[in-house]
Amino acid sequence: MSTGEFPRFYFALPRLLARYRGGSSERAETNGGEAWIASIVTYLVNYLFFAQFIPTTLGLGPRMLSLALLVFLVWLFWLFALHVNSLVIKLLQACGLFRTIPIRRAQSILVAGTATAMSLQLLGGGGWSAEIAAIWLVAVAMNLVAAAILALRNGDRAHS
Amino acid sequence: MNNSTSRLGRFAVRGVFWRHYLDWAVINLPFYVYPVQLVFFTFFFFFFAAPARRAIMANLAVILPGSSRAMNHLRAYRSLYNFAWTITEAAIHRILKEEFSYEIIGAEWLEQLGAAPGAIVLTAHMGSYDLGAALFAEKFRREIRIVRAPEPDQQSAQHLTASLEKAGEGVVKVDYNTAGALLSFDLLKALRAGEIVSIQGDRVEGEMGQVAARLFGHAVQLPNGPFVLALVAQVPIFPLFIARFGCRRYAIIVHEPIRLENTGDRERDIAKGVGQWCAILEETVAPRWDQWFAFTPIFAR
Repeated sequence: MSTGEFPRFYFALPRLLARYRGGSSERAETNGGEAWIASIVTYLVNYLFFAQFIPTTLGLGPRMLSLALLVFLVWLFWLFALHVNSLVIKLLQACGLFRTIPIRRAQSILVAGTATAMSLQLLGGGGWSAEIAAIWLVAVAMNLVAAAILALRNGDRAHS
Repeated sequence: MNNSTSRLGRFAVRGVFWRHYLDWAVINLPFYVYPVQLVFFTFFFFFFAAPARRAIMANLAVILPGSSRAMNHLRAYRSLYNFAWTITEAAIHRILKEEFSYEIIGAEWLEQLGAAPGAIVLTAHMGSYDLGAALFAEKFRREIRIVRAPEPDQQSAQHLTASLEKAGEGVVKVDYNTAGALLSFDLLKALRAGEIVSIQGDRVEGEMGQVAARLFGHAVQLPNGPFVLALVAQVPIFPLFIARFGCRRYAIIVHEPIRLENTGDRERDIAKGVGQWCAILEETVAPRWDQWFAFTPIFAR
């Protein structure tokens, strides 16, 4: 346990910004605000991706009902996907990959990869779904650049 | 305790499946997945753990009089959501040994507790037992015996005991108050040997000794064990609570110890101590009703 109150972050971009502001760029999983934003945006991208498959020919009532039901179906999809991901990671580790990082960090790469693929698909659809997808893609790109800068600056590795 | 060896028993609300799933999630999921996951899991348990939901609502009706039933449904959801975070973070601390921040309210009393030659920690179903035990182990390196109500599921009980003992890094011992008088003698012996015994004093379960009291102006039955032990062993009772303040942020709230004077009138001496405890419990629970995880109806109808 720690009694420290220094704000620290998980994602590379806020860690890089913290470093420029004189703070710590060390990875931490203690920032609730960061967790909430990432959680909601990831969920939203998943929801919008599946929502586009609801037929537009449905009436308003059935369509609203389907969208409401989808809220829970996306959660169930997540549960399934996270389980499958963990099996994929075990397989990759057996093949010698992802052995130096914790499973949850490897899972993070797969979650972000899946959401990025969904965003790329959403981008072509236009409308505000495409705006959300664009925000996700920009955030991912900026984080990758920030991770590269951190790695070059202080040898910060993915598992630090 | 039921030995839930059947496949379905594992999936009951208090079955061991959910504890194992939580352990799996802590190892396998990135931390930013938790907020939305916990929102949905809380929805799931909000509907399927109906007795717990109803108990929270019944308790809230007393703590927050005049509030509507609809509002208390939302509050019950909030309490369950806080509970989900609390047990998740306890698992994170136990399995990953990740860092947590905490502040101590009543540091002088905590120091007194650490130095006390035999004491009772009286707490409530609030915050995280595991984290409290870990903190105590880390700060004082003293053995602490935690007395718990028995779990209805044997496998869950085994998991919980192992979790607490692991979090306590070898200095925490868990006892279940099922052995009746035998456990009382055991605890008395431990107190006289200078050990610290932690007991939850906010609800009565099963056949344990009870004492009538008034909480939030309503009649309640509370366990009399801690008070009888304190009176007989002549050790102080330290009211201690652990409250969650945010993501991996906790407060350890310690109050001035309750000292039971042995005047020869046992019932009166115990009633005095119980009265002090109820006042502290009200003071602590009223502003933190969303962290009171007493999932059984406390107040008499």
